[in-house]
Amino acid sequence: MTRTRRMGAAVAIAAAVACAGSGCTVIPVTGPYTVSDAGGGDPLNKPFQRMIAVAPRDDWDPELLVKGLQAAMAAYPDDPSVLAKYLTPKAQAKWKPSGPVTVIEDVYQVDPVEGDAAETYGLKAKQVARIDPDDAYVPLSGNAPERLFVLKKDARGVYRVDDLPDGLLLTKSDVARAYRLTNLYYLNSARERLVVDRVCLRLKPTETFAQTIVRRLLKGPSGALRGAVGTVFPEGTEVESIGTGDDRVVINLSGPLLPLDLGEKAALVAQLKYSLTNNKVAISRTIEVQVEGEQYWTEPPNSETHWLDNGGNTPYYTNKGSVHVMSNNEGAGVAVSGPAGESNTDFKAFALSTQQTGAIVAARTSTGISIAGLTPEGRWQQVIEGADLTDPTWRRDGSLWTFDQHNKVVLRYDPNGGHGPERVSAPGLDGLDVTALRIARDGVRVALRTGKNTVQLGALSEGLNGPMLGNLQTLTSTEVEYEIEDIAWEDDEHLLVLIKSKAGQILNEIDIGDGETIGIPLKDRLERVTALIGRVLAEANTDKGPKIIELNPDRQGWTSRIDPSAKNPFFPLG
Amino acid sequence: MPPTRPSTRNARRRTVRQILGGVRRRVRRAAGRVRSVWRRSLQLQVVTSTLVISVTVVVVLGTFLSDEINRSVIASSQQSALNEAYADRLQIADALIPPSDDGAKAADADQKVNPLDQVMDTVTGSGEDGSKKRYDVLILNEATPGMSRASGRVVQADVPASLRQRLQRYMNRAEYGKTEVSIETIRFAGQSQATLTFVVAGVVHETLTGEDYQVYHFFPFNEEEELLSNVRLAIVVVGLGLVLLLAAIAYLVTRQVVTPVRLARQAAERLAAGKLDERLKVRGEDDLARLANSFNEMAANLALKIHQLEELSQVQRQFVSDVSHELRTPLTTVRMAADLLYDAREDFDPMAARSAELMQAQLERFESMLADLLEISRYDAGAATLDIDSVDMRDVVHRAIADSEALAERHSTRFDIRLPHEPCMVEVDNRRVERILRNLLFNAIEHGEGREIVVTVGADRDAVAVAVRDHGIGLKPGEETMVFDRFWRADPSRARTIGGTGLGLAISREDAVLHGGWLQAWGQPGEGSQFRLTLPRLAGADLKGSPLSLVPPEIEMRRTWRSHMTPVLLPASGDGGGHDED
Repeated sequence: MTRTRRMGAAVAIAAAVACAGSGCTVIPVTGPYTVSDAGGGDPLNKPFQRMIAVAPRDDWDPELLVKGLQAAMAAYPDDPSVLAKYLTPKAQAKWKPSGPVTVIEDVYQVDPVEGDAAETYGLKAKQVARIDPDDAYVPLSGNAPERLFVLKKDARGVYRVDDLPDGLLLTKSDVARAYRLTNLYYLNSARERLVVDRVCLRLKPTETFAQTIVRRLLKGPSGALRGAVGTVFPEGTEVESIGTGDDRVVINLSGPLLPLDLGEKAALVAQLKYSLTNNKVAISRTIEVQVEGEQYWTEPPNSETHWLDNGGNTPYYTNKGSVHVMSNNEGAGVAVSGPAGESNTDFKAFALSTQQTGAIVAARTSTGISIAGLTPEGRWQQVIEGADLTDPTWRRDGSLWTFDQHNKVVLRYDPNGGHGPERVSAPGLDGLDVTALRIARDGVRVALRTGKNTVQLGALSEGLNGPMLGNLQTLTSTEVEYEIEDIAWEDDEHLLVLIKSKAGQILNEIDIGDGETIGIPLKDRLERVTALIGRVLAEANTDKGPKIIELNPDRQGWTSRIDPSAKNPFFPLG
Repeated sequence: MPPTRPSTRNARRRTVRQILGGVRRRVRRAAGRVRSVWRRSLQLQVVTSTLVISVTVVVVLGTFLSDEINRSVIASSQQSALNEAYADRLQIADALIPPSDDGAKAADADQKVNPLDQVMDTVTGSGEDGSKKRYDVLILNEATPGMSRASGRVVQADVPASLRQRLQRYMNRAEYGKTEVSIETIRFAGQSQATLTFVVAGVVHETLTGEDYQVYHFFPFNEEEELLSNVRLAIVVVGLGLVLLLAAIAYLVTRQVVTPVRLARQAAERLAAGKLDERLKVRGEDDLARLANSFNEMAANLALKIHQLEELSQVQRQFVSDVSHELRTPLTTVRMAADLLYDAREDFDPMAARSAELMQAQLERFESMLADLLEISRYDAGAATLDIDSVDMRDVVHRAIADSEALAERHSTRFDIRLPHEPCMVEVDNRRVERILRNLLFNAIEHGEGREIVVTVGADRDAVAVAVRDHGIGLKPGEETMVFDRFWRADPSRARTIGGTGLGLAISREDAVLHGGWLQAWGQPGEGSQFRLTLPRLAGADLKGSPLSLVPPEIEMRRTWRSHMTPVLLPASGDGGGHDED
């Protein structure tokens, strides 16, 4: 036997032994070895359930027929054919599903309308919200207007609906089942920060939630932000497909996207990324954008970006009129440099432009609003005069804003503009008594307290003659005997409202998207609140004097931070 | 032009027929070649047999394996799906039981979430923290509005009609514990292609309200389908590889066996060709080595015997040659004495005179026989040489006929000579060719029974042929080659009338072979016989065919008419290649 043959025989025997050895065990014991976790699950979808409409039965009474019709409305976008079976031909021709969607409580009553010759039934319910055609979710309260359904017997003696109001009528559960409140991200006027727009999107069984989000993103913002925010997606951009790769989500778009410059491309990807990941879609995935199948941009997960920058997250406070930086641990902070760090009891209601270089602090006095740089050579300078000005608030573009209650105008002062304060057009505020004005850290949204009982939201847009305050809508209002004492932006989506009632104080966190209100328990009496991304600070007034307290992370109790004499807590912007 | 049309059509038809015929011939030829290769190659037979058997085994095993895996995978998936569906139905049934405390129910009626929504959130994973399930669920309550739900893309129309009918039947009979299943190909809304789906259907009956909920679970089986498809592909690939591997193994194994056998065959062929010192190499001590040893021993013995036989043959030939030479001297003296007696026979009495005549005649025959014996011994000794000259074959034929005319007259035989008009020049030894023709003519006269003898000369570019046809008793089957044997006689009892020695045709064949030509015979009992001499035009050239048919044309035509083609005679119409080895 030659050497080659001997080697061949040895290899054959080894292979046979290996085969026989592994054949004895069904699953051989192996490892440890490294595997890739990518690809697990479906990062593009959220499971949801849908109402399935059933055709009306001949033995149903009018009440069941109207309830069946309401259920068919809930399933109408998925299957419009069933709803038509509830209607007479006349009603089918007349009824239109378009318009705002009315959302009512799950429990409602269907009763015959007394004294009506025709067989008319009224549907009475408490209203919950309205979903506008632009997908804006508008919370409502109180009883909804009664909706009348005229019933008619057909040739077989079976009831069908002959007349009904236009538009879909859904219950709260119907909306919870098939709709999702979704954050879409657009760009502010300077295109350097994203602004969130909360819409209510209906989930479609035929497309992924990611596709629904991106398609809606391309349509533009809802009415609350229309004209105030922008998008880098050019007109004609379409979603071709959204799929998953090994560790990535691939968004294939079509449209005139190629001429965009590098900054615009980055903004485009930021809009997509935040609109997906902040809605729990494509979390921790690389996002790859393609244009007609060609690679366009790849964004790794968890990349550090400035798109939700808040201008700093260090809290400040005043002690005997001197602005201090709050330390991380308990104990007094350090006074800032410059005149703001000196004691001066004339100043109150402070606000800081930004934490970056060139930060300016503003404070209200009895004669107006003064500003001073946080540098040793800075000095106080009154820039807006007026005895009835609201507390100053900074916009992220570096301008200082207030409302002159005497003249009923919104004033804006730009420290770099070289001229005095200018009036800002705010047509929606005509005749309103604005008692507080707060510009959110995104630089677009504005919260206004009008009178003592109402909080309104507006948006700042860039008009031909400068900024303009518009898109006003009521966020919340209290009973007349209550009084809204303070408002503060917590983040882009939540506003803190401090209310004084007969029974004591109430601190509410209101979601500006869906109006959801969460009460925060209070112990001491609060004078002022400020907040930033889950961190809430307040000036409490106790028997021992003022002190600054902070809301615990569990949001159930407060912890004392600095006392005594510490007042006016504030974060940059907001 | 009318006359040309049919001819063109005929030509075309012929062409098509010819093409088909050509294709058929080629296919037949290729099949013949394959058959021939198959018959001749043991290795090919073994490899083919192994391939066929292994393919059969692999197909049977693969089908069995595939079925078994299919069954177990599907059964496991179905069982798991049934368990999940059953657990879901239990959850749904539990959730749909209305709370017993009516007061509590009324109190929180406004805040209460529909239990169907809650349980669907749990079942389908559509709650806040839920994760997507691998299946979709459809709950159908057609009696109460707003109590039907679905997850995913499922709609009411996706439920197979037969399944729904069976469920409806169970509900009508109040049989709620039954579960129906079905594997369907369903194309859900928004899907580009249908999905293989395992549908599980059951009824949840709420006893207090008396409501029936049809619960359908849709389990996608596309992963199982893909898995089984991959398994099947793997089985096919592995099976194919196994078959090829077995074929390769069979090839290698048979090669180990066949190669020595092939070497032995080649050695045997060389041995048969006269290379008596051919031997096989002996390696090892296995069966093949013993075969080689036996072969070598056989070859050695054979060589020894052949050598002995050759020596014996040489001695015999030498003896014949010597005897012939030695007989010549006394024969010359005897002849001289006989001549004297013959010349003086008129002076003898009649008896003595007749004896002198007889002696003269027998002496002539004896001389002729002696001459033939000497000629044959020259061939045997390899001493025969050719005196090549370019001659016109027509002249040679004329001369041979002239020599035979006396005998022909005695037998009342007439010659029919068919010669071409053109000269038939050929490089031959004139004397020998003439002797061949004379022999053929004498034979024809002797066996022609007085009937006409046809002598035909034919020529083409490479060869010249002369055919001598008689119409005598003919030849029996098998005698076509025996006629050229030495001293062979068709009927030993028959006397030689022309005094032949029995060596004429043997010498003629030797002459023809010496020219590189053929001498062949054809004959049939009652049809006479024909001898054909074919010679190359240039001395030393190889013959590829004969200008004349070995079978006489009239016989050939008669055969064609009767469509009787005797296999033995088939090659004769061609080039006669089968007859050139004697």
